[in-house]
Amino acid sequence: MKNILSIARYTLVENIRNKIFYVLVFFGIIIIAASLLLVALGGEQQIRVLLDFGLAAIEFFALVTVCFAAVNLALEEMQSKTIYLVLTRPVSRAHYLIGRYAGLLAAVYSGMFLMALLHAGLLVFNGFEFNLRYPLALLLSAEKITIIGSVALFFSLFSSSAISSISFTVFFWVLGHFSEEIRYLGNKVTYLVPKIVAKIAYYTIPNLQYFNLRDFWDVPGITGGWIPAAIIYGMLYSVACMTLSLWLFSNKEF
Amino acid sequence: MLAIETSNLTKVYRKKHLTRTALTRGVEGLNLSVDKGEIFGLLGLNGSGKTTTIKLTLGLLRPTSGSVTVFGERAGSTQALRKIGYLPEVPYFYRYLTAKEILSLYARLSGLDNVAERVEHIIDMVGLSQKRDKQLAEFSKGMLQRIGIAQSLLHDPELLIYDEPVSGLDPLAMQEMRTLLLKLKSRGKTIFLSSHLISEVEKICDRVGILVKGNMVRTLEQSQWTSAEGSLESIFISEVADSAETDRMKL
Repeated sequence: MKNILSIARYTLVENIRNKIFYVLVFFGIIIIAASLLLVALGGEQQIRVLLDFGLAAIEFFALVTVCFAAVNLALEEMQSKTIYLVLTRPVSRAHYLIGRYAGLLAAVYSGMFLMALLHAGLLVFNGFEFNLRYPLALLLSAEKITIIGSVALFFSLFSSSAISSISFTVFFWVLGHFSEEIRYLGNKVTYLVPKIVAKIAYYTIPNLQYFNLRDFWDVPGITGGWIPAAIIYGMLYSVACMTLSLWLFSNKEF
Repeated sequence: MLAIETSNLTKVYRKKHLTRTALTRGVEGLNLSVDKGEIFGLLGLNGSGKTTTIKLTLGLLRPTSGSVTVFGERAGSTQALRKIGYLPEVPYFYRYLTAKEILSLYARLSGLDNVAERVEHIIDMVGLSQKRDKQLAEFSKGMLQRIGIAQSLLHDPELLIYDEPVSGLDPLAMQEMRTLLLKLKSRGKTIFLSSHLISEVEKICDRVGILVKGNMVRTLEQSQWTSAEGSLESIFISEVADSAETDRMKL
């Protein structure tokens, strides 16, 4: 546990000193600029557009960050050989990888938190009545980011090329938003091979639609059983990806 | 107990291309024993298998066949790694961390309890007290080498594995390194180093092994190169030339 925390800590420092703050500054500028434009629209629309736009932007920037950072999490260390001086200490490979992943998530969550503070401030400033759905929407976005991070890490260990890993992750991310359509296709198609492919895709690609609370903002009682189920699903999916990543990493040579 | 023991150690690298797999032999049938408390030098040309042997000893690579043990423990196991201090040929560090931060990280990963105290001591020892809070991105090559040495000694390991420790150093730094290695030996440490700089190896090593194309062609005691048999350089050249001649005859 001590080793995992030490590795997570330096990964957090690495990400904060390297990337996260640049993304945050960029996001801050965009959201402030956008809020100034939205003021011109006036009325009820202004708050709703600001809410949707802000939540989508927080998720998008976090997803871009986690995708690139997770792909490079172990890959960059292998290519730069900095990994040598960690793995030649009494640290198990599993502890190393879990620590790196935890540190990355901590960095991305911190970035999301700061972006959300800025966003919530703008919302309140524009007359938004704060309620529990806002933090729940953020929590589900964070869950989506956890899944995409674990997928990106798995692909980076599987393909050993950053570009192909990012491509596969983006492919999963896009298809993850069409899970229900893939299931529908699998049920409707009559030919065996496309049916099997659709079924496999449906069960292997994460269903990211479970995590889009902002799409159901005005539906009453939607948060009941759905959110705990989505969180459990997200955790199980991430753990499965991490288990595969640990297996791949334990067989790697440097 | 032997510090390092390899038995019939073979490493074959497999590189998969689209339609075929290329095989490259790193080391072949290597039998090596390094005694506790000695300085053992691994001599060889570039590509002779020195770094492969070191990586196998550290568990960064896995043997294709044969075995490696460190103080009787399987190479790469946490028990074995606890006893090793490693300095790679070019030490690569996290450049956004300060000297103090990186050494603290390595100290924690080595399982030390008195991290702050140990880090301060080792920073003073390698003469970087004034630079302790500077990020490594601002360090010169010589200063990075000092950090490399510091991290290898942090946890006071019994065995030091140094890959080309004097490669690229200026004469003064080379002499400092030589003095350090001899000092460590006098404290009972075992040192396993690789080099292609024969003049340096012959000054400090108790024994050397000559690697040619992944095969250990000869192991020598210090007395053999200091006696009438000739300088270490002439022995080395003769062994490499013999091997090249044997290859030519095979063709």
